[in-house]
This record gives sequence, C-alpha cells and structure tokens, in this order.
Amino acid sequence: MAQSRREFLKKTAALSAASYIGMNLPYAKAGVAPGAEEQTWHRGSCRLCGTGCRVELGVKNGKAVALRGVKDARTNFGYLCMKGMLFWKCMGHPDRLTKPLFREKKTDKFKEISWDQALDIAAEKFADAVKQNGSNSVGYYGSGQCLTEETYLFQKVFRGGLQTNNVEGNPRLCMASAVGGYLTSFGADEPIGGYADIEQANCFFIIGSNTAEAHPVLFRRIMRRKLDNKDVKVINADPRVSQTSRIADLHLQFDPGTDLTLLNAMAHVIIEEKLYDEKFLSDYTAFKSGKNETVDLEAYRKFLADYTPEKAAAICRGNMTADKIRQTARWFATSKATLSLWTMGINQRKQGVWANNLIHNLHILTGQLLKPGADSLSLTGQPNACGGVREGGGLCHILPGHRPVEKENLRNQVEEAWGMPKGRIPAEPGYHTMAMFTAVNEGKIKALWVNCTSPMQSLPNVELYAKGMKREDVFIVCTDIFPTLTTQVVNLILPAAFHFEKTGVYGCTERRSQLTVKAVDAPKGAMPEVWIVREWARLLAIKLQDPLIAKCVESYDGLEPDYALPKAIWDEYSQKLTKGRDNDLRGATYEVMKQMADGVQWPAPTEEYALTGGTVKKFVRGMDPMADSHAKDDKPYQFYGPAHPDGKLWIWLREQAAPEEVPDAEYPFYLSTGRIVDHWHTSSMTGRIPELLRANPYAFVEINPKDAAKLGIIPGDMVEVESRRGKNMLPAKVYEGPTQGMVFVYWHDQHPDRLINKVTKDAFDPGSKEPEFKICSCRIKRISGPQALTPFIYNG
Amino acid sequence: MPIGGIIISVRPEKTEEILFVLVQFPGVEVHGHDEQGNVVAVIDAPSTWVMEKIVKKINVFEAVLSIGFTYLNMEDEVDGPAPGERIPGLFHGVELDAG
Repeated sequence: MAQSRREFLKKTAALSAASYIGMNLPYAKAGVAPGAEEQTWHRGSCRLCGTGCRVELGVKNGKAVALRGVKDARTNFGYLCMKGMLFWKCMGHPDRLTKPLFREKKTDKFKEISWDQALDIAAEKFADAVKQNGSNSVGYYGSGQCLTEETYLFQKVFRGGLQTNNVEGNPRLCMASAVGGYLTSFGADEPIGGYADIEQANCFFIIGSNTAEAHPVLFRRIMRRKLDNKDVKVINADPRVSQTSRIADLHLQFDPGTDLTLLNAMAHVIIEEKLYDEKFLSDYTAFKSGKNETVDLEAYRKFLADYTPEKAAAICRGNMTADKIRQTARWFATSKATLSLWTMGINQRKQGVWANNLIHNLHILTGQLLKPGADSLSLTGQPNACGGVREGGGLCHILPGHRPVEKENLRNQVEEAWGMPKGRIPAEPGYHTMAMFTAVNEGKIKALWVNCTSPMQSLPNVELYAKGMKREDVFIVCTDIFPTLTTQVVNLILPAAFHFEKTGVYGCTERRSQLTVKAVDAPKGAMPEVWIVREWARLLAIKLQDPLIAKCVESYDGLEPDYALPKAIWDEYSQKLTKGRDNDLRGATYEVMKQMADGVQWPAPTEEYALTGGTVKKFVRGMDPMADSHAKDDKPYQFYGPAHPDGKLWIWLREQAAPEEVPDAEYPFYLSTGRIVDHWHTSSMTGRIPELLRANPYAFVEINPKDAAKLGIIPGDMVEVESRRGKNMLPAKVYEGPTQGMVFVYWHDQHPDRLINKVTKDAFDPGSKEPEFKICSCRIKRISGPQALTPFIYNG
Repeated sequence: MPIGGIIISVRPEKTEEILFVLVQFPGVEVHGHDEQGNVVAVIDAPSTWVMEKIVKKINVFEAVLSIGFTYLNMEDEVDGPAPGERIPGLFHGVELDAG
C-alpha cells in the first residue's frame, strides 16, 4: 500500500535520527531512503554559535523547506539544537532589509535609495573623512559572524587601500583573552586539540562556561561520554549553578573573580602532592614571572606556597572547601586524559589573559596536553571568530595569517602578496574596540563601517558609547539583514545577503574551516558583502584618486558575486597569506572543502593532506606536518609557535587580582551576564523567530533565594538592577543558580528597560583589551509585583 | 505542519519511565530506543512553535539529559510566514519617510 506523504516524511525523520546512533529500524529495508526525494540538499554550517555544526539545507522550488544534520561531520555527528534548526526562518522574514536606506541626519527618517546612490554616498563620506582628517579618522567594526572572505576583503581595503589599521570586530568582546592566553602560554593562537578529545577524555574541567545552553551540541557529546563511561568525571566550576552543572560530579561555586585563586590552589596541590609530569616539564617547559624573566620550578613552588587549599577556600567562599579543591586537582592531574573547556566566564574579565594562562598552567604541569583526550580548549562563541577574525586579519593588531602588525617583515609579506609597495600598511596597530568607540565619542573617528553586529547593544556601559554613535559628525554605515539597535543611529543601511544566500568559509573553535555554498537567492535587493566592498572600493579609489585602493580589488574584476568572487578572495587569502604560517590553509581549497563533510583543520599545507581532514593535534610529530617540518630535535612534540622563540610552553606565575569593580556598601551585589539557550547574542535573528522569542520573550534577573528573602523579592516581582552606569527593570527568577551575593541577567533583550549592557562595566584586560562583561557591582531592589511585559525587537 | 526527527538522551535506568511519558504527548511517536538511553522519536506538530513547546515539556523531566535534533521538514510552512510571524508592532518592517 502506498504510504502517505506525511508517513513518508515521518519515517525519513526517524531513520535520519536512528542512523546517527547506529540503530536499525524495522522499516529501514522497506525502501524508505533517508531524506525526502524532491529536495536538493545543500551542505553548510550552522551560524548560531561557534561549534560549527554541519547541516544540509533542503531546497524545493528555490525555497528552504528542510534541514538535517550531517552525520559524518566530526563537529556534530548530525545533531543540532532547536536554535540551529530554525535559523532558516530568517531567510524569508518580512523584516528583511532589501533596499539601501539613507538619511543625511540621524534625526531624519530613512529614504530608500538605489545601490548606485548608496555606494556613492559611502565612498564620498569615507573619502571626505580621509581628506579632511586623515586615514585614522575612518574605521571598520566587523563580526565573528562574517564569512572569512568578507572580513579579509574589508581589512584589505582598509589597511592596504585606506592605510589604516582601524580594523576591529566583536570577537574583541569575546575571544581576545583566549588569543592572549594561547599566545603567551603555548606561543601560538588557537587550541592544540579539538572536539575529538571529548570522546577520549576521562575528566572534564568546565569553568566559566554554560556549555549546555551556549554550546548544546558539544554538551551532548560530553554528556554522552560520561553516560557511556562511568569512570569519567565532570567538574563544573562556576559562580552560578547552570544547566551544565546537572551532569557534574563536582560543582565548585565561588565568588566571581576568585577563580585565579582556585586555579593557583589546584597548582599548589599538584606541586605539593607531586602530581606533575616531571619529564614533560623538563623537556618542554619554561617558568615565567615576566616575558623576559625566566624562573624555575622551585620559584614556582614558592610562589604557590600561599595558595593553600584552606586559604583558597576562604577567599573563594561559595561552596568551596579545601577538600573539594584537593579532589579537583587530583582528578585533573591523575585522570588518563583531562579536557578543560571554557568560554566567557574566563575571557570577559579584566584578568582574562591571566585566567587563561592559569588553566593552561595546569595542563602543562600535568602533561595533560597533546595526547588523545587531553587539551586546554577555549570554546568560541561565534561561528567565525577564529577563522575570519583571528586568522583573517580582523583585529587592529593582527594581519592575515596570524601576523602582528608591528612586525615590519610580516607587514612587508602582506604588502608583497597584495602587490603594494613596502610601507603601505601603517606600522602602528589601530584602535582596539573600546578605544575605537572612545574615539567615536571624541569625534576622532568621522566615518565608521559596522558590519553584521550591533554595538548599540553589545558594548559594555553602552549608553556612554551610544552618545558617540549618535553624533551628527560621525557618519556610520551598517550592513545587516535586519534593523537592529545600531541601525537606529546610522546614516546608511545596506541590506546584506544571509547565510546560505551567499558563499564563504567559517572557521570554528577547533581550527576547522568549513565551506557553505549559496543554496537559495537572497531577497531581491540584498547583496553579498564581498560585492558591496568591491564596488565601494572602486568608487573610493576614484574619489581619493588613489590607484592602490583600486588595486585591492582589481583581481576580482568581472567575477560574479555568488561563488566566483568569494572563491577568488579565498584563494588569494589561503594561498598567499597563510603559506608557511601556522594556520597554513593552502590545502583547504573550495574544491577540497566541498568534498569534505566537515571541512579541514589547519595546518593543512597541501590538498592531499587536507583531504584527510587536516591536523587533529598541533605540535605532535606524525600528526602535524609543521611539527615535522619545523622539528628542532627528535622529541615527539615540537612547539613552533611564532611567539615563543625558545620553542617551549610557558608556565606563568600569575597572582590573584581583583576585578575592576567589587561589591561595596553602596552596590553590594556582583552582576554577571550570559546567554540563554534559545537566543543568540542581540536576538536580532532569534528574536524574530516566534518559537524562540516566545520561549524566552524577555530577559530576567536570577537571584539566589537567600538574597531574595532578605530583600522581600518573590518570583515574578519586578526588580531594579542598578550600577554606577545605568539601570534595568526586570522580572525576578528566584532559584539556587547564582551564588549568594550575585545576580545574573541574560543579555539578549533589546528593550531599553532590560538592556543589561547599560549596567555592565567597560573596564578591560590590559593585554587583550577585552571588556569585563562578566563582573561588576550592582544593587537590586523590588519595585513592584509582577507586571505584564511585551517582547521588544527594534524595527526601525 | 513540521515534522522533526529527534534523539532524546535519557538516564539509561529511566528509559522505560520516559518512554511511558513520551507516548502521552500528542504528535510524538517513539520509533526506537537502546540500552544507552537513546530514544529515537518523531514529532509531528501543527507548527514549529508547538514543536518547540513539546520539546520544552519533554526537557523538564529530570531523567532527560538532552534532546538533539537531526532532521526538520517544514515544507508546509514556507509558502507563507509561520502563524504569528507577523506580529503587529513587533515585526512590521522599517518605517520610512513618507515624503
């Protein structure tokens, strides 16, 4: 009997799910193939976190109609989260921007204009700024969600064309401390291992990460590993009990900002109980009290003497005891393989780089590195913070291919690759993010291009920086798919194509580059950013009468923007700019990536090698071609990272240091912020997907029941959360989440009463320049009982 | 009327208990399970909004550790915005200068 269409689809769905866990279903032989037949399937990456899940978009009659995970992808093995399953709804959404919009003054309403007019205005305004105020009066502020080709081309035109290093991006707000940590501890950015370690780890140390909500697919892998292996231990260290804590054998709860003490105390136990790997230390390690100050193990032991577990427990407070610290250190050091994972709880700190160093210290001390299952793995927040921004030259101090701007020989390499004269790229790094928006406030930046991000919501202490963005003498152009809180302060909005409406590469957490090829047309009028930049640069060259600006894009002349143009940009970047660098991507051509279910992990110098999947573990001879080609001796590990000329891993002597702002009599609570499972960053996308919006229509403040009882707050009450910078009014959620004396607020809400970055602090790490979103002081008070609230998504 | 394929990971010793719970949900069909606590299920819901609500309700049970989607077909929904997608005052497009 013929089965109905719905029955067919249901069996397809079940077979798809069953195939991922190797389960045979009884009707598998009945001729039902996994996947419906009328659709064409287009492989790409999910764009709603940094995991890099591979998906296939089912397209029928030019429209996306289905989505499935890619079973063979080593990022997600076919699994996806609800957020990832629904991102397709952004494609045909009625709020999509489809016409360039312009207004001379920010107080005017927008008028629709043509693309020709829009590009001419953008070129005119940037040219005027350069002519009147010099190259450093213009800037680019991009995103870890842009494709690598986009970030690379923008920074090429700004650095090589406009001669400014004012090239920044929102990864400064999330990943910069991880970059600093990897460079100073291992001598090279980005992790040594990757997700493959999850299935081989025997101890997970998850600190400052709510993996269950921010990286649900990776959390599933961790959970599966634990369920399938009863001896696997999970330690969760966080001031807040989160969804992640529910699989933990041990949850360490402490006062925000005291984790440097915890990490040093763990090192203390490891040293005192001789749990360190003496041979590993002697072969591969140096101890550093400063960049040029090398000490020895004995000095490190003395440094740690004061970090006894007893003293540390008293400083950390929460539920910490000396015994818990000892247990944690022993599990960490003695397991067959320990994998640490962290995100913004560690990175978004004034001591973010130091906190990263102290995690790496534990791995170096114990040799929990380089072997299967052992790694010190910083999880990325955005899909292309690593690939596009860290590797592609998207920060003010880094040129493509992990090249520091201040190194003349490295600038010259880039200039040569671009066919530019030596000296074309300025020697000084540009403004980092907080300096850039300070310069906007001061009127030093006269023209700013904001691409695919919303600083009007995502900057800390945002009202301070909103003043600058509202200045009439600062021209701002914004490329995006939807109106955002930022488009309300710009002069020119350029409608961009969305994911799967254009082609390009994302590089996720684990050094993995993955291609997404255009599968559906963008709404008429929306264009890929690479086309926008090329056309703008041509006009800019004319207006500034500078042929070298035109040279930035001349090799792309005549290429259609959906595939040939991004491919040409990727070819230039990967073949010329990563050659011989530690992120060598020459083997990861579009042709190779199209053949791979899950892309390529660098270094991957040749196509033949890239077709194996690339490098699973850096620095290991026999596993990493650069470890072989750069070997200085016959040892199995070779640390060729450019930042450590001694070829060693560095253990740092870093003291506990307080956050910029701690509670006092006036502001007695800690405030921390984070993500919720259904929303992504500023919710300009997830807030427009009704299923996700209604699941969490507004932010709330989480309060510990003991604190709530003292203040007479019950669940649902409206509570004012106020700092020295601003205040919010939010409904209360009272539960045993945050430690006593701390409140927690989700940061996706756009409503002016619930925009928590009005309250957060803009202090930043002196090394990484990453702001301390995660800790400031505040006070809270009950305003009223529950009030009816409506969700708010800014629509222009 | 979207159809989703999911794998529900439950504490293995609680699998039977969760299987009993799942069959109470309208639109949820269990297609298989194994000793590791993997349950293969299909959700046939009137909208992705309802599907999301069902997933949330399943996730509430303590024995449920995670729900992973592997497949979603929404071909009935794409010809027009999903119900509720046009929310007056919320999703209405950019306001332009009438002049």
